Amino acid sequence: MSLKQRSIDLEPAITDLRNRTLSRLPDDFSRLVYLASSRDLNTGNYSHDGLAFHFSQNVASKAMALCHGEIFDRLVYASLEELIAELHHYICTTDEPPEDFLKSWEHLGSYRVTIPSECDELEAQVFLSNLKMALTILQTRQKHSSRDEQSA
Amino acid sequence: MSQLLPYLFLGLLLLAVLVWWVWGAIIQRGAAEVLAPRQHRSSVRSVGLQGDLAERIFGPQDWDFVSRETPSEIQRMFQRERTALALAWLRRMRLQVSQVMRAHVVVAQQSDDLQLATEMRLALSYFLFLILCNSLIGWVWLHGPVRTRKIVGQTLQWAVRLRAAFEQLMATIDPASCRVVGAISITERFGAK
Repeated sequence: MSLKQRSIDLEPAITDLRNRTLSRLPDDFSRLVYLASSRDLNTGNYSHDGLAFHFSQNVASKAMALCHGEIFDRLVYASLEELIAELHHYICTTDEPPEDFLKSWEHLGSYRVTIPSECDELEAQVFLSNLKMALTILQTRQKHSSRDEQSA
Repeated sequence: MSQLLPYLFLGLLLLAVLVWWVWGAIIQRGAAEVLAPRQHRSSVRSVGLQGDLAERIFGPQDWDFVSRETPSEIQRMFQRERTALALAWLRRMRLQVSQVMRAHVVVAQQSDDLQLATEMRLALSYFLFLILCNSLIGWVWLHGPVRTRKIVGQTLQWAVRLRAAFEQLMATIDPASCRVVGAISITERFGAK
């Protein structure tokens, strides 16, 4: 099957995934984490019951992998300032205290699993490096704001 | 004059090592490796964005933000991180150009219509490219990628010119191979900038 043919077959599944699932998430970082967490780390296959029901497990997995790659690319080429804003927004949407979140992500390196399987090695390095910087900068800001609150 | 002798000797030694290394890289590797080179995991999609990735690594935008908004220890961390990325990018570019050169050497060895002058010019360009690339690696290692931005842009232009020269030569020497090597390896590996 040609690449063009394959993308034509996947197109309805991709559109469905974008319109029904990904558009409901507030930002690209949330979408990235969602897609990465839908992936089985043992097999690399993605699972989405609704999408698999309408299309097939195989098509659903490929559509999710494609969207994962697209969102990852956008974040790799986003500036550090934009990435920090995305990460900050994502942290605010979780119910965890920001300091716990930042500490856990830094120590466990949880962000490493957000990288798609089919990505370029250097792009992955750029993303991880920028994310590490973003976490450090947010942690510094967090420390400053807690210090300010205490002194007030 | 005698004070200059150790430097002259060191320079000649370095030149000899470089020539030996280039010779080993382009001549002594077999065809098998050229046909199935050790591939870094790189997709067609991302290789097309090589120039953009360089812009991402060497661009001033992030540094402007970091130097404006963060304390000095974070600025130092940023410099370290970007230096590592810049070195990885330069090493990858050097590897890709070397792979294309090896592919060209294999095709040229099988060609009956070899133009020696053009081949020599190409070999010299490749040799100068390697010197420039290795100097850049040293420069980035010493000074970081932010100050190296302009030179990297020029190196990238040189790589694109080399690509054009390779493609032209491949088309002259072996149009059939050019279709395969040219279409898949050369254009996709370099990406247009």
